[in-house]
Amino acid sequence: MAASTDAPARDSKLQGVGSSRLRKEDARFIRGKGTYIDDIKLPGMLFGAIVRSPYAHARIKSINKAKALAAPGVAAVLVAEDLKPVKLDWMPTIGGDVQAVLADRKVCFQMQEVAMVIATDRYSAADGADLVEVDYEELPAIVDPHKAMAPGAPVIREDIAGKDEVGHGKRTHPNHIFTWEAGDKDGTDAVFASAAVTVREEILNPRVHPCPLETCGCVASFDKVTGQLTVYLTSQAPHLVRTVVAMLSGIPESKIRIIGGDIGGGFGNKVPIYPGYVVAIVASIVTGVPIKWIESRIENISTTGFARDYHGVGELAADQDGRIKALRFTALADHGAFNSHVSASKLPAGLFSICTGSYDIPKAYCRVDAVYTNKAPGGVAYRCSLRVTEAVYLIERMVDVLAQKLGIDKAEIRRRNFVKAEKFPYTTSLGWTLDSGNYHAALDKVLKAVDYAGLRREQVQKRAKGELMGIGISTFTEIVGAGPTKVCDILGIGLFDSCDIRVNPTGSAIARLGTMSQGQGHATTYAQIIATELGLPSDEIQIEEGDTDKAPYGAGTWGSRSTPVGGAAAALAARKIRAKAHKIAAHLLEVGEGDLEWEVDRFKVKGNPAMAKTMKEIALAAHTGNIPAGMEQGLDGTEYYDPPNLTYPFGAYVCVVDIDRFTGETRVRRFYALDDCGTRINPMIIEGQIHGGLTEAFAVAFGQAIPFDENGNHLGNSLMDYFLPTAVETPHWETDHTVTPSPHHPIGAKGVAESPHVGGIPCFSNAVVDAFAHLGVTHMDMPHTAYRVWQQCKALGINKR
Amino acid sequence: MAKKQTVSFTLNGKAVDVVVEPRELLIHTLRERLQHTGPHIGCETSHCGACTVDLNGMSVKSCSVLTVQCQDAEVLTVEGFEQGGVLHALQEGFTTEHALQCGYCTPGMITRAYRLLKENPSPSDEDIRYWMAGNLCRCTGYQNIVKAVQYAAKKMSSAHA
Amino acid sequence: MKIQVDKSYPMPCTAEVAWEFLQNLEAVAGCMPGAKITERVDAARYKGTVTLRVGPATMSFRGEVELQDVNPATRSLRLLGKGTDSTGTSGASLSLAARIEAATGGLCALAGTSEMSMSGKAATFGGRMMNTVADQILQQFADNFAGQVRALEAQRTAAAGGAPAPDAPVASVAPAGSRELNVLALAWAIFRDWLRRLFSTKAA
Repeated sequence: MAASTDAPARDSKLQGVGSSRLRKEDARFIRGKGTYIDDIKLPGMLFGAIVRSPYAHARIKSINKAKALAAPGVAAVLVAEDLKPVKLDWMPTIGGDVQAVLADRKVCFQMQEVAMVIATDRYSAADGADLVEVDYEELPAIVDPHKAMAPGAPVIREDIAGKDEVGHGKRTHPNHIFTWEAGDKDGTDAVFASAAVTVREEILNPRVHPCPLETCGCVASFDKVTGQLTVYLTSQAPHLVRTVVAMLSGIPESKIRIIGGDIGGGFGNKVPIYPGYVVAIVASIVTGVPIKWIESRIENISTTGFARDYHGVGELAADQDGRIKALRFTALADHGAFNSHVSASKLPAGLFSICTGSYDIPKAYCRVDAVYTNKAPGGVAYRCSLRVTEAVYLIERMVDVLAQKLGIDKAEIRRRNFVKAEKFPYTTSLGWTLDSGNYHAALDKVLKAVDYAGLRREQVQKRAKGELMGIGISTFTEIVGAGPTKVCDILGIGLFDSCDIRVNPTGSAIARLGTMSQGQGHATTYAQIIATELGLPSDEIQIEEGDTDKAPYGAGTWGSRSTPVGGAAAALAARKIRAKAHKIAAHLLEVGEGDLEWEVDRFKVKGNPAMAKTMKEIALAAHTGNIPAGMEQGLDGTEYYDPPNLTYPFGAYVCVVDIDRFTGETRVRRFYALDDCGTRINPMIIEGQIHGGLTEAFAVAFGQAIPFDENGNHLGNSLMDYFLPTAVETPHWETDHTVTPSPHHPIGAKGVAESPHVGGIPCFSNAVVDAFAHLGVTHMDMPHTAYRVWQQCKALGINKR
Repeated sequence: MAKKQTVSFTLNGKAVDVVVEPRELLIHTLRERLQHTGPHIGCETSHCGACTVDLNGMSVKSCSVLTVQCQDAEVLTVEGFEQGGVLHALQEGFTTEHALQCGYCTPGMITRAYRLLKENPSPSDEDIRYWMAGNLCRCTGYQNIVKAVQYAAKKMSSAHA
Repeated sequence: MKIQVDKSYPMPCTAEVAWEFLQNLEAVAGCMPGAKITERVDAARYKGTVTLRVGPATMSFRGEVELQDVNPATRSLRLLGKGTDSTGTSGASLSLAARIEAATGGLCALAGTSEMSMSGKAATFGGRMMNTVADQILQQFADNFAGQVRALEAQRTAAAGGAPAPDAPVASVAPAGSRELNVLALAWAIFRDWLRRLFSTKAA
């Protein structure tokens, strides 16, 4: 049946999937009318300021609150003793460990929470915090993870000293958290033993921090009369927080309301439950008034979830043609003093086993050993897709190492090893089934766009003149959309997600989801998905997230899971509505359901297109008596979606750098990023995500680090030292795409927001190392600051005229 | 405890009076006493620029200004840009060019760009990046922000043409 | 954040006078700019404070000092000190092995090897300055110490009826110099010294 001639126009009016429509949420932000956590004011609200330990490892001998309590404006001072009666001095983490809410007799990392001062305003609270006197007895600190499991090393976690496991298998030392492995160790070792070529590098993913522009905080409000606890919270996962708070506090979950409003950037920093939240909740329960706690930037960088700190060893075994036969990756993971980062209970090292990358590698083995140190807790954060940044960094660096060893071009060696397009769905030797991909096409398109051959010729000429020019390639496969409940759960709660849509009589709709935007544009993109499914304009579809009283249960937004899981739930909920609408349309038009077909925004009678009912007409009818016998009124749909698999977006990036050998300064001449995230919901928003993720990748590759001295003192925890790129040094980004839909996703979309970060970091690093490749350099650790690159130039004797 | 002082100034064209301790920062006065939560707090070392306001014709980080320094000053924040229901060209530019994601840096960016365009009505892309280096963003990578400022520059210069 | 300092300061007095003064912990503490002993716990342990001013802001460290291994034969002793600042955001500890060494002309030198470490904010934000700051503080301490022992020497000499030492001004045992460590003055001294080093022809 031929489509009506006006179908494209009607489709365009919907501004559904594929439209680069402007964002619906912008209206409040450009006027400064967003509602971020620090904008919240409740009557009678008091402020909390946290007293923190100056030592990385120390016993607390005494705490004297007297001077603080006497200070003007101070209402209360809470310490661990005050939390004991409500059993909240320790709390379970989402990583399966326990964490001190306020330090109980000892502190395990510098700036650990020791007390909270509650006062009438933030100035009085800060004054009060200065007056709390804590007597410490300093203990030797463990800062180097390689020393954590030495015999006789100081024991950091005396609270779990007797436990031989903390949720992830046997511990072999008091400072050991877990050892996790995947793959075929013996088979892999055998291949290495007989391989024609092997390469090995020690590769560091330094500790960094996501540093979103808004810090973490909450306003906790307990109503003594109703017993209702309301917490406004910077949380990427409001429902998970509600469940954990219910478990912790004993308040029935039905009387707890977590409200995530506007969030000024998450990037994984706002997933964990921080002690400040818990103390604020207790303070509110105790005082009966709302308590606001907002951390400072220094507190944010020093104590909230950091990222990476993986000390890796990468090994590849290959034949003389560069065909990889086996992969062996191990990593020592520094988790800080508590294992608090998000991870599925069966996957304590996240999705690290995606480390076979975009390549067809017959045998593989990987292992992660995690240890405690006297540093802030964390590890999974910062657009990492759950350790995928660590995994992809290793494989993309090692492929370059192998290419250099064999003298094979770095693009060519990738072509020889890619999973071929016809092999999808392809199950890797570490057990992941990649849903769809076309790696050769993506790489070819990029190389053509940048004139790769021309760049290599230019590089030869420049090298002859003693100039340093590097070309970096990164062909990455991501794994996002956690995930199938049989594999992915947090504290037992499955990582499904949900969407609840209600269409009202006048034909507009409200949809609520269990995910939580922190700037990704959900109010627009989910509306677009539903618009296309329902034939209603996306302008008239309101999206709500974050209020746990209203939104159906979900696991929140992190690991790029909103589109793969939440987006699927939205599409399927909409399809339930359309199925009901189909029946109503048949009833209204007095035809059989089989006589109707759906076109853009209406059901048409086959062969008689004049006879049609639009979704708007059906919406009205659904609220009247004119519906099929036995059917209920209303036009709603709810879907709880348990994904059958994760999704595997991929990309091909090329970076060209010029390095000044006298100063070590790197100029990014060009960065070309091709991403394939399957079906593209809003190309404008995708491009924005790519720009942002690449800029964060640039920051990690060229300047971010969280350094400590040997006593565990933080040496770079403010923006005086921590590198956040400004508009001046941020390079210009060129974006491109291919579209290879996901076969298992209802609309074929895969999610994209973390891809640029995962793929960008190795691309920059590969470019920098490539600049020195002709001089025999095989690897350089990040960050590639001018000073560190200059040190490489000096070691090669090329830094002087 | 130092004696509080009364400070009177103009905020987005309206006269305001506040009673503050000498140590109170302008950003706190704006956000908590005067209910203008557009300017945001992103750091405490004056690096991020989320608190940027326009003070007596200059872009100023309000986290580094004491309210007592603002006697008789003219202060402009992002809330003052929309006039009579009509968005400022910069506000229009930011949304048209998708120059915001989480929105947290946006008030500071718009307020800074406003002063930039007053002093340099046709900046180059490089000018914009340099002049706005005091405003950090984690979401957008700045590329669309530059486009938004160019959009506004063109709209404002054609309005004058 | 640890630094080690090895210094020797010539003193305008005899070794006996310097050793006598060195064992008077309260008086020695008085030579440290901004330091004060507040409580004597026992013969070897004292509690005290060190106050630093930067313009209108004051930072106050409170802690304990312990005297160990006092050895008259070698005229040496060890001092262990540790404390936290009153806002609880910084910690410091010091271990100092001090001795009086005889020098030419009947004079002596105060020599010491010390290891200082800082924790918390002082380490994070002040770490870079530590070596230079330590140098300056010790120089001020040595100057105050010298002033005190010169006066003490003069007293002893006068009491013994001999001629005063050649350079000794006639003075009573004056109280130690500044009661506070003025950080801005210190910063100026550090800057001045740094400039001097930049333009000096000697190796640093």
